[in-house]
Amino acid sequence: MILEATNITKHFGGLKAVNGVDLRIVPASIHSIIGPNGAGKTTLFNLITGAITPAAGTVMFDGVDITGWSPERLAKIGLARTFQRTSVFRNLSVLENIALAIRSREGLSRSIWQSVRSEEAIAAEAMEILGRVRLRGYENSKAGALAHGYQRALDIAIGLALKPKLILMDEPLAGMSRGDRETVAALITSLRSALGVTIVVVEHDVSMVMRLSDRITVMQHGQVIADAPPAEIRDNEAVRKAYLHGSFAT
Amino acid sequence: MSDHTATMPMHAAADRRMKGLALLVAAAAGASVPLWTGNVPFVLILASQAVIAAIVALSLDLLMGSTGLLSFGHAAWYGFGAYLTGLAAKMLTPEMLLLLPLTVAVTILLSAIIGFVLVRQIGKTFAILTLALGQIMFALVFVMSGITGGEDGLQGIPVPTALGFQIAKPAVWYWLLYGILLASLAGAFHIRRSPLGKSWLAIRENTERARFIGLDTGTLKLLSYVVSASLAALAGGLFALFNGAASPDMLNWFESGKVLMYVVLGGVGTIIGPVIGAAVFTVTEHYVSSVTNSWLIYFGGFFVLIVIVAPGGLFGAGASLWARITTARRGASA
Ligand SMILES: Nc1ncnc2c1ncn2[C@@H]1O[C@H](COP(=O)(O)OP(=O)(O)O)[C@@H](O)[C@H]1O
Ligand SMILES: [Mg+2]
Repeated sequence: MILEATNITKHFGGLKAVNGVDLRIVPASIHSIIGPNGAGKTTLFNLITGAITPAAGTVMFDGVDITGWSPERLAKIGLARTFQRTSVFRNLSVLENIALAIRSREGLSRSIWQSVRSEEAIAAEAMEILGRVRLRGYENSKAGALAHGYQRALDIAIGLALKPKLILMDEPLAGMSRGDRETVAALITSLRSALGVTIVVVEHDVSMVMRLSDRITVMQHGQVIADAPPAEIRDNEAVRKAYLHGSFAT
Repeated sequence: MSDHTATMPMHAAADRRMKGLALLVAAAAGASVPLWTGNVPFVLILASQAVIAAIVALSLDLLMGSTGLLSFGHAAWYGFGAYLTGLAAKMLTPEMLLLLPLTVAVTILLSAIIGFVLVRQIGKTFAILTLALGQIMFALVFVMSGITGGEDGLQGIPVPTALGFQIAKPAVWYWLLYGILLASLAGAFHIRRSPLGKSWLAIRENTERARFIGLDTGTLKLLSYVVSASLAALAGGLFALFNGAASPDMLNWFESGKVLMYVVLGGVGTIIGPVIGAAVFTVTEHYVSSVTNSWLIYFGGFFVLIVIVAPGGLFGAGASLWARITTARRGASA
């Protein structure tokens, strides 16, 4: 397992946002997490990536106990994420958004001198990553000026620039047109095959999730109600109930 | 899309050359001040004060404009530098090549300790604590009035020397201060373009995202705070030696507010804007306050106006005007 979360728990006041969740992620897999709004998916991501500290439970990443680690420390050992609400450096150029992540990965963020050669090498790598997410041609635009779908792609590209072993994407397809969703879905599949990166995705579009995933975890009320390959999830009684309650967004 | 991005570097290069030229002209004009004010030493003294104010404003912009941390108590470090340098000059040596490095070194140490606590606070808490820090330093001057001179200020700071030569002539002082301002500006521009400066900007833009790409935002903010405090203390030290005295007013919240206004008026994060803002307003303040006692009202009113109509400050407004003119010209010629 590349990621193994055991009995992860976080309560907000009386609300059991995440309540004793177990999550096991196989290396180089695409693993989706689905569930109604408020099920605790984003909170689970926040707990794994260090944005908030779990009240109970442990998280193992690549054989290391990372429970309670800060996001910056986790980023350095290859755990990246994207955000449900797109999070980019809006007033910086698209290229600089990527370059920041590359410099961070290379441990250059604090230097006050950089050779032209290293700067060019970073720009070249950034262009390659932009090519991967189909943002080439926009490198000089301000990130905030990009269309919504492109900003989401940039958010993913920033994560990729860290050369992560595992990337968690919180609703990467949200708010996108049909065409853009297909593009990003294809991107996610290609990332796994080309880079061997493990991907955990939160997504509402169930048919998309069925096609995309090797395995699916279903959450409801802060708990895991099912965890199985797509075919089994389709036939799962508890999951069907969640559908019938109509609480899945489409 | 790729059409106009491909041609952009050429315009950018031309723009850079124009900006470089403008900076050079402005720098030369600044350096020439003693040549045409030779027989009015007072003007030169005022100009020197403007240069010191510019260094302080630059120091605050290195914090606010880089990492986005808002300091309401920046005068704490300005005044701290002034008192420390003044006291050391009285007790140890008048040699500024020893005094100023000493002041900077002590400030680095102290601001690192204080900054360690401060930068871990978010937003409003940070701003309020900086205000408190300023008032604590202000109060310390009175508590330790035995050595600081209390309300009377620190008097009798000896005329300083550099490599043994006395620095007393107004023109020499002006060029010295002006040289330090230019060096600080060059340093600030260099840092802005370095990986460190870009990491700072990332924090100002989006601290949360910065953390998730592995930037150690705590350390980076602390670095920015220490650099900023040290430059402010250096400016304070220079003022004490130049002026021969330091007054508790230098530490007051009012002084902090003024520096903050210079930065906002000039344009937060533009580096050159706050420098020009501080210089222009120091001179204006002098002349207007000699005409009317209510200059603060005008200054405050002007401040409010700028914040509303030109939130990017005077420099920001100028830059966008310039951009509009040049694109219009380009459009016409194309
Ligand atoms: N910081 C917080 N403080 C209080 N309640 C929160 C916080 N974050 C999330 N919640 C609550 O926890 C529950 C789970 O939220 P979330 O993890 O965002 O769900 P999902 O991503 O599955 O839609 C929701 O009821 C939400 O309102
Ligand atoms: Mg969510």
